[in-house]
Amino acid sequence: MSILSIEFLALVGAVLILYYALPLKIRWIALLAASGVFAALSGWQGAAHLTAAALVAWGGGLALQKHRSRILLAVCLTAEIGAMAFIKLYPLLTGAMLAIPLGLSYFTFQLAGYLIDVYRGKARAASNPLRVLLFAGYFLQLPQGPISTWKELGDQLTEGHRLEPVNIVSGFQRMLWGFFKKLVIADRLAPVTEALLKEEAALPGWFVLGGVVLYAIRLYADFSGGLDLVRGVSRMLGIGLPENFRRPFFAQSVAEYWRRWHITLGAWFRSYVLYPLVTSKAAVRLSRLVSRPLGKKTARALPSALATLLVFLLIGVWHMMSWNAVVFGGYFGLVMAASLLMEPLWKTLQRTLCLPKGGWMRPLRLIRTWILVLIAQYFAFTNSPSQGFSLLRQTFASWDFHRFTELCTGVMPGLEWLIAGIALVILLVVDLICEKKTDLCDGLARARIWLRWPLLIALIIIIAVFGCYGEGFDSAAFVYTQF
Amino acid sequence: MAEATIQQNTGRKRVLAAFWARLVCFALLTLAALWYTAYVLIPKHDYGVCSMMHYYRQPRDTVDVLAVGTSIAYAGINTNVLWEEYGIAAYDLCSAEQPFWVTYYTLQEALKTQTPRVILLDAKPAMYTKDYSKRGRIIMSTFGIRSLDNRLGAIRACLEDPADAMDYLLAFPVLHSEYKKVGLGNFAYPPENGGRGGDWKGFIEEDAVEQHSKPSVVWNNVRRSINAREEEYVRLIFSLAQEKGIPLMLVAMPNPDYANDHMYFNYLWSIAGEYGVTGINYNDPSLRYGLRYSSDFADWQHLNVKGSITFSRKLGEDLKALYDLPDRRGDPAYESWAAAADAWFEKLPTFESSGMITEEIP
Repeated sequence: MSILSIEFLALVGAVLILYYALPLKIRWIALLAASGVFAALSGWQGAAHLTAAALVAWGGGLALQKHRSRILLAVCLTAEIGAMAFIKLYPLLTGAMLAIPLGLSYFTFQLAGYLIDVYRGKARAASNPLRVLLFAGYFLQLPQGPISTWKELGDQLTEGHRLEPVNIVSGFQRMLWGFFKKLVIADRLAPVTEALLKEEAALPGWFVLGGVVLYAIRLYADFSGGLDLVRGVSRMLGIGLPENFRRPFFAQSVAEYWRRWHITLGAWFRSYVLYPLVTSKAAVRLSRLVSRPLGKKTARALPSALATLLVFLLIGVWHMMSWNAVVFGGYFGLVMAASLLMEPLWKTLQRTLCLPKGGWMRPLRLIRTWILVLIAQYFAFTNSPSQGFSLLRQTFASWDFHRFTELCTGVMPGLEWLIAGIALVILLVVDLICEKKTDLCDGLARARIWLRWPLLIALIIIIAVFGCYGEGFDSAAFVYTQF
Repeated sequence: MAEATIQQNTGRKRVLAAFWARLVCFALLTLAALWYTAYVLIPKHDYGVCSMMHYYRQPRDTVDVLAVGTSIAYAGINTNVLWEEYGIAAYDLCSAEQPFWVTYYTLQEALKTQTPRVILLDAKPAMYTKDYSKRGRIIMSTFGIRSLDNRLGAIRACLEDPADAMDYLLAFPVLHSEYKKVGLGNFAYPPENGGRGGDWKGFIEEDAVEQHSKPSVVWNNVRRSINAREEEYVRLIFSLAQEKGIPLMLVAMPNPDYANDHMYFNYLWSIAGEYGVTGINYNDPSLRYGLRYSSDFADWQHLNVKGSITFSRKLGEDLKALYDLPDRRGDPAYESWAAAADAWFEKLPTFESSGMITEEIP
């Protein structure tokens, strides 16, 4: 079931009514029922896998609470992550297809995180298996996350929330904003990516670069739009899902970009992969070993750099399971590792040249980050590394503008470009406001009716009219649903 | 302590009551805005949506002759001639290629506000062979139907897969891409009826001239079964008219391509006989009323302006002879018929273009 379908909206309506009609203590039953319906409608194999994974985590959690055994943790994690790896690798190894459960990576990561947290004593194991099942299969985060921790979500889901008007209004606004980003922006820009993949041989550099920039924006609008949608609905139920995007294209460095892009995935890898690696005995030993030839500062940064490289390779592989993923992840890993290793040198240079931290350096850093991020995008949507490299070469080959109109209107008509342009300006303005003031949704939810209502009704009409759905449009699935 | 709790609860109840009231107001405003947006997006073309929208503006129980059917009927049954020459208050509630499945629901809707003295049913759909059709011009004509039951009925009747019905009922999934074609005229409410004004009665003139010859038909009684769904719905139409006690007359419009229709029409007439329904086949070579196939058709099946005048004179004569139709001329309640006819006859000498959007609807 797509979260853009009428069926999903009907399910949300039913859940809202049922949730607030039930007594406070058992309101979570409505969420469990909705999650069950959602998972079952998305495929019984997926629902069965989800249930089995949740039961393993529930049993494992209880056992780990009693005996903090590393072996037991390893067994549970192998069961959870092994099943995911098997399903993801099976088609690659055999060529045969397996039905991939909806939200496989998201619930696997959540359950693995839960087990590690119980093992570390950071979370108490749930005695009720249904609570773990709901935590793993909460229908709003199943399609594309965010990846929550037990601490963030476990109790929230079951404690029952009173109807708060501000939650309904704010959640509704966020939901609408999600629809706008996905239907008006992301899906409208989809033909640009297709054009890049179709006609790569004959395209001038400006077109390739523009297409890659628009792909990056499309991906952002698609993923963050979907998350705004589910976070909005969740907010209407009184349940706060963690933020997954914080305007990544305003980042001043690649490291900051990754702290703003897919935040919960980054946080998961930091908590459960990066930190254990960096603080491991092997890392300490490595640091000691190289401290004499490389110097103390570099020796301290080296384990972090290597761990970062590994984490980004894993993130890349998680994204795609292809050679593109290796290039994508490896590239980001190398950039991040290099920036870690070169940090002392950069600081010295900054001091020597008296470079300011803010001021004119900010736009320069922004452009540098954009360039570094865009290079990775060449491998995010192409079908092979060679195709990515070929497009990258073309970007610098010919900047002939004589086919400008022909190429642009070949991708989509002028009116569609105009709508896309206006929508992007709206997105930029809203993101700029949010960058200054953290929560525009909450601010608007408390605004006067004469300001709020016309804005909301206008947004609804814009989505209804200019959204890419129904006849005459190919409404694309969410890019991140496949994970 | 208890008092504070009571006060808190009362305060919360007040907050919630205000919230629900605001929510209802917001929902109503949004629905109104969406309804108008959908109205703007609906293509106001010649294929039939305007005649349904405009039908609701007719004063209650004023329509004496209600014509339902296809474009052949709306291009041929000239309501202005019927008024001008016989004082018959007629309305063409037709749409292009309208199958009996749509006619049935259109008629159900139409009879909610009008009690015509006779219903004219265009026989053309008897030769349609499709079980279902998602064709835009057919299904979009249903967008003019206001009531949910008949609109949903007409939509579902058109669709093989009932799951598609929701898209058409909500309208936006199938309509929203029309924003590319929206002009200022689309915002006008009520619709401008293609520049024909607010008194228009559903007649859509075709002003081209195409030369044809009289159809060569062996006038026999051989029947050819019509499509099962068309038969199912035409029977429902006959039953509906019977139930309402309104006489129904089948009309086979003159048509150069008639040779293809003849056997289907024979079958239709035999079904009509079961319900005591009669009809007139204006392709019958024995009927001579001055129609010229060389100059009275706009294309291979539609009458042009000249043809519609000739045909409607004969139709009016027959209607007067067969049914008790009062002459409404001079009746203040029928001013709009007089105004529509005056405006049309004024334009007649220079009839060149209807001024309607003419792009092809898939």
